Parts: sequence; C-alpha cells; structure tokens
Amino acid sequence: MHTGHYISGSAHGILILWALFGGMFRSDPPELQVADVSVISEAQFAAMMQPQTAPELGAEPAALPQPDIEEQPPEPPVVEEQPAPVPEPVAPEVAEPEPAPQPVLPTPEPEVVETLPQPPAPEPVPDVEAPEVALRPIPRPAPRVAPEAVPEPAPEAEVAPEVQETVEQSETPDVTDAEEQQATAPEAATTEIVTEAEEPARAPAASVRPQSRPNRPTPPPAPTQTADAPATSEPERQPAPQPTQEPETTTDTASAIAGALEEALAGASTGAASGPPLTQGETDGFRIAVQDCWVVDVGSQAANVTVTVGFDMDRSGRVVSSSLRLLGSEGGSGTAVETAFQAARRAILRCQGDGYSLPPEKFDQWKTVEMTFNPESMRIR
Amino acid sequence: MKQIVASLLAVLVLAVSAPGMVSAQGGPLRIEITEGVIEPLPYAVPDFVAESAGAQQLAQQIARVVADDLTGTGLFREVPREAHISQISSFGSPVQFADWKAINAQALITGAVSSEGGRIVVKFRVWDVFAGTELGQGMQFAGTPDGWRRMAHKVADQVYSRITGESGYFDSRVVFVSESGPKDQRAKRLAVMDYDGANVQYLTGGNALVLAPRFSEDGQRVLYTSYETGMPRVHVLEVGTVQSRILQGQDGVMSFAPRFAPNGSTVVYSLTQGSNTDIWAMDIASGGTRQLTSAPSIETAPSYSPDGSQIVFESDRSGTQQLYVMPATGGEARRISFGQGRYSTPVWSPRGDMIAFTKQNAGRFHIGVMRTDGSEERLLTASFLDEGPTWAPNGRVIMFARETQGAQGASSLYTVDISGRNLKRVRTPEGASDPSWGPLQ
Repeated sequence: MHTGHYISGSAHGILILWALFGGMFRSDPPELQVADVSVISEAQFAAMMQPQTAPELGAEPAALPQPDIEEQPPEPPVVEEQPAPVPEPVAPEVAEPEPAPQPVLPTPEPEVVETLPQPPAPEPVPDVEAPEVALRPIPRPAPRVAPEAVPEPAPEAEVAPEVQETVEQSETPDVTDAEEQQATAPEAATTEIVTEAEEPARAPAASVRPQSRPNRPTPPPAPTQTADAPATSEPERQPAPQPTQEPETTTDTASAIAGALEEALAGASTGAASGPPLTQGETDGFRIAVQDCWVVDVGSQAANVTVTVGFDMDRSGRVVSSSLRLLGSEGGSGTAVETAFQAARRAILRCQGDGYSLPPEKFDQWKTVEMTFNPESMRIR
Repeated sequence: MKQIVASLLAVLVLAVSAPGMVSAQGGPLRIEITEGVIEPLPYAVPDFVAESAGAQQLAQQIARVVADDLTGTGLFREVPREAHISQISSFGSPVQFADWKAINAQALITGAVSSEGGRIVVKFRVWDVFAGTELGQGMQFAGTPDGWRRMAHKVADQVYSRITGESGYFDSRVVFVSESGPKDQRAKRLAVMDYDGANVQYLTGGNALVLAPRFSEDGQRVLYTSYETGMPRVHVLEVGTVQSRILQGQDGVMSFAPRFAPNGSTVVYSLTQGSNTDIWAMDIASGGTRQLTSAPSIETAPSYSPDGSQIVFESDRSGTQQLYVMPATGGEARRISFGQGRYSTPVWSPRGDMIAFTKQNAGRFHIGVMRTDGSEERLLTASFLDEGPTWAPNGRVIMFARETQGAQGASSLYTVDISGRNLKRVRTPEGASDPSWGPLQ
C-alpha cells in the first residue's frame, strides 16, 4: 500500500544527501588574473602621447647606383648613299593630245576549207603501252559538283574512287608483307554550285525520310459469305467490285488476254533472259559507277534533255561500243539531244574500265541495258 | 457461262505468259540516272605541228590560244603537256588513243601550221578519245600571219561547238569604255577589243564623256551616248571608219541608253522631256520616231528580245526600280521582277530564254539572271559595285563591270558563266566599264 511513499521518501533522501555532501553548495574562490604593470614617469608618458610626424622626403629620389659599363661610342649608322632626289616630273600644263582613233582594220578573214582528207586509221596498239591505272593530272581548283561532298584529298594522293592510305615496305619485314601502294582519294567535290552571291546551304530544310517499303499487293477481299451465312447478310458492307455491264468485262478480259499473249510470244521470240534478277545492290553499283562519269553542263541546252541510251555488254562487263544507240529523248532541240546523248555515251564508256562489276552468272539479266539520263535534279543545283 | 470461259482463258494466258513476265524483268536492264557530276571536261592539245620552217613559233602560239580559250570557259580542263604519253609529230599520223585514254583526256585536238608566201594555213582535228573517233571533220583556215589569233579563236570555236553542241564565242569582240585617271578626273574613251582583252583599239578621243556603247547585231556599228555637245546625245559610230554622227530626230533634252533592234534598222532609247523619261524607237534611215511608253515615271534601259517582238526595260512606276516586259510596238507592260531591292539594266539573252540584270540590295550590287517571266531568279555575283551585264553571242557567259571601293577604286571587266561558276577578270590595259559583247565573227 505504501510502496509509493517508500520510493518517494528514499529518492528525496538521496537527493538531499547528494546536495549536502556532493559539493553542490561548495564555494571555491575563482583564480586571480595577474597583469604586469610597470611604472613610468610623467615625462615618459608625455613623450609617448606626442603625434608621430612623417619623415621628411627629399625633393628628388636618389638615383639608383648604376652598374659600371664601359662606355663605347655607338657605331654611326651606315648611311646609304642616296641618289640625289629627282624632281617629280611635272605634268605639262597642256596635256598631250591623245592619239586620234584609228580606223579599226578588220582582221583578215581566214579562208575556211571545210574538208580535210580522212586520217589513216591508227595501228593496233600493244596492250603494254597503256598503264593499268590512269595517271590523272592534278585537277585545277575548279570546284567539282558531285552527288556526295568529298573533302580536299591529301596533296600526295592520287585521284581514285577509293580511299587508300600509303603503304610502304618496312625495312624489317613483318610476318605479313604488305604490297606497296600509293595513297589515293576521291577528287574533292561539293554538292551544289555556290555563286559569289550565295552561301552554301548549311543543312537541308527537312530531313530525308527513309524510303517506305513497297506496298504489298492488296489481297483480294476475303470472302465474307460462307455457306452457312445467309447470302443477304449486310450486303452493303461488302460491295463486290463487280462491273456493271458484263459485255465490257468480256472485252477487257479479251484485250488483256491478247496483250499477255503478245507479250509472252514476244518474249519467247527474243530468247528472253532467265535466272535470278539482279539485286538492288548490284543495280545500284552499276548506276553509281556510271553516274560518277556523267558530266552535266548545267548551263547548256542539253541540260534540259533526258535521253535513254541502249547498249549491249559482253560477259566481262565491257560495253560493246558499236551497240550504243539513242533510244529516245525528251525536251530540247536536235542539237541539244545529240549533245546529251554524247555526254551519256562518254559516261558509259569512260567509267567501264576493265568492265563493270556485274555478276557473270546473271549475264542474261544485264547483257542488254537501257539507261536513262535525267538531268532535272542537276539543273537546280 | 461467259464468266467461266473468261476465267479459264485468263488462267490459260497467265500460264502461257509466265515465262514472258520473267523475260520482261530480265530483258533489257533498265536504269535511270539522275545524279551526275559538274566538272570541267579534260582535254589535251599538244603543240600544233609546224609543217614549214618558219611556222614553229606560230604553231605553239596558236595551240596556246586555243587552250586558253577552252580552259577559260571553265567547261574544259587541259591535261598538262608534261603528262602526255604520245607526241603528235605529224598531223596525218594515226592517233594512239590508248595513250590519251591513259591520261584521261576525253578530247584531243591536233593541228598543224604551215607558212608560205606571206600566208599561213592552220589545220586541226578534234578526236573523241574514248570512242576512238573523230568529232566532226578536219578543217583548215588560211590567212595572213597577223591574223593568227583570230584563226586560233576560230579553231577554239569549232572545238567548243563540236564538244558542247553549242556555238562558241571566242572569235568575237567587245566594245567598252576605257577609263584612265582618278575618279574625279576620269577620262573615258570608247575602245574595242577581242573577247579576251587582246588587241585593244580606241574608237574615240578623250575630249568628251562617253557612256553605254552598244554593238549592232552585225558588229559593224556602235551606238553610244556622248556629252560632246554638252548634253547627252545618242551617237552612232561606224567601226570600220571610226566616223560617228548624232542620231536625228531628238527633240528632247536628253537621250541616252540606246540599243539596236535585232534588225539593225531601229534604235530604241530613252528620251527625257521636261521631268519625264520615256522609251522611244527610231528608224535610223528615216529618222522617224515613235514613243513606246508614256508613264509619268522613269522608263529606261530598253533591250529587245532576240526575235524583236518584245522589249524588257526598267521603270520606277511602282515606286522602286523594277523590270517590265512590253511588246516591241509599245503597249501594256507586265512586271517580271518582284524580289527585294532595285533591278536595272536588263539585257535579253541571245538564246531568248533568260534576262540578265543588275540588282542593288542591302548595300551590295549583284549581277543576276532570271527567266523571261521573272522566275528562277539567281544572283551570280556580289560586290561593292557590279553593273552593266552583256551576253556572249552564245548566251552562255555574261560580262559586266566591277568597280572597287574608295577614292582609288577602279573599274574593270569580269565574266561569269550563267551557272555562277568561273568568275574571272578580263585583262585590259586601263580601267574598263560599260561592256557590250559583239556577235561571233
């Protein structure tokens, strides 16, 4: 019952005892702080309290001691002998009369003889006379405009389609000896004509979207009517593309049949190619090889002409020169068409080298080529 | 029943034509090329063969002028002679095409010069190296030795024409204003020169200010404005005799900016009466005049289309200088320039498809070209002061005057291809301005 009183009484007792004997009320004197004091006289105090005056400065700073230097008279400047001044020629008060204009004598008109005898045909040339690689001269700084920009190649690099760094034989032969090769690089080019008044386009206005995949042929509408379904169920949702008149169908079908028969027979008569077609990469490689040599004169009338050139090729990928022919043209006059054809012909012949790189097993696919040269996109550069 | 028959036939045809479809895919390989390169065509022109003892120097000089003409167009690039593998020692010897193909020369020009009895004969041939054939037929020119440069230009014109399919412009002359002295005391004389700045000859003295000479279509006469009488008056000068006269029938105070019509018998010019300037036409033979414009604004700088049916001119009727086209007989004009800045000195191309002009915009001057309807405007140059375009006879190159800034600034002539490439200066012995390109001779 009195447990609380016992605990409280004991705690208070302990507290009182701790207060009495624990030193809580002990009063120790604080430590004294001692300062040293010296006794000075009144004269000394007065002397200390006088304001300090700045030291007097001399009027001029003292000169710094100079190192001893042996005095040597400076060498007199070499005075070049000047020619006596020549008085400026005084313009005569009366200007000399300019020479009276003389009649412009017409330059003698050359006589023109149109025809010269045909030159003799060149003799066959041994193959060894022509180097395998064309030693193309260093191009003049005239800017070259090509589909892709090419930076200025190293000065020692020869012009070639591929980039090749110099390979030299080291004095200590390695395990694998590399063949010595001259550095090559493509010719420098820009992608557009930049006139003095224009700045080159920094970036395209819009990014080029990737080409979309070709659409799959639309499958025929799945039959929505089954045998179980009623024939009249929602006929308006599945309108069958039926022509309205049956006789026309017969006519169209007949003409299609006739056309297909004609096409099939024509293909059979020409001994058409067989085998797998060229891949897109193979076709692109051929196209790029020719376009690198197709020089377009954008300021000429021929730049308005699209020509289609046909030619045959042999199995080594070389063009049969005599087979080059103009198949068709669009735009421009006769002279412009002929010029455009010649430019296309030169492109085809010039870039073939030892033959275009085409798969021999697909020879039937590329033995005859129809190539269309369309300069439309070049005109706006 | 008919449907069933048609379906059966279709199946039959498909079965028959399946091999044909394959052949259509694998028949002629069809490729379209839309990207090419724009670069000079490499060619080689070895020294012409001297076929007589005294023709060695001429043979070299003529070959050099031919090369300079072709390379100067920017359309051709000469393969240096150091790179030649073959040498042409005889004009009649066969060409080793493989040697020229190896140095990537696409065209080869061979020639020979002979001199006898005070006359020289220049022969040449053009070869398509990669085709291994001759381009056109061989040709020769005969003349006196002092006309050797002209013969070289004619050879270059032929080569240019055979390769590009267009006529050349090397055997042509330019009439211009030759300038000497500082800007505030500049003497101006009419002069004529070869297209490349050679053979400068003066047509007038320096006692009167002359402006804006214009060749006639045949290159025998020159129209120009002279202050000989104190006021600007249109003069016509016969180039052969250097005789000039004031055109009759000018009642106005000032007449200027003359230009021949393509027929050579009519002159179109500007006439100021009171404070108004309009365009007039005059028949040279009769002196009869006709007013072509009658606006209260300033109409000037008329230029005929090559067929003579239209006139392009500048006018400030809209508030600023712009270009307009009207019928050659006068009448309603349509505005063709709509860009920013001021347009002036329009000149119709000899081809008829373009108009060259001077444009001032944002403190700079430009030479530009546009279609005759004002579309496809393109500025070709930019400088402190470019003005006064004139077309080469083939409509491919534009010559103009460029003046540099400052008190010591001088005017000189430049040419630029209509594509904006190949901007270069024409060397003249003195300052030069106001060029007018004459016809191909």
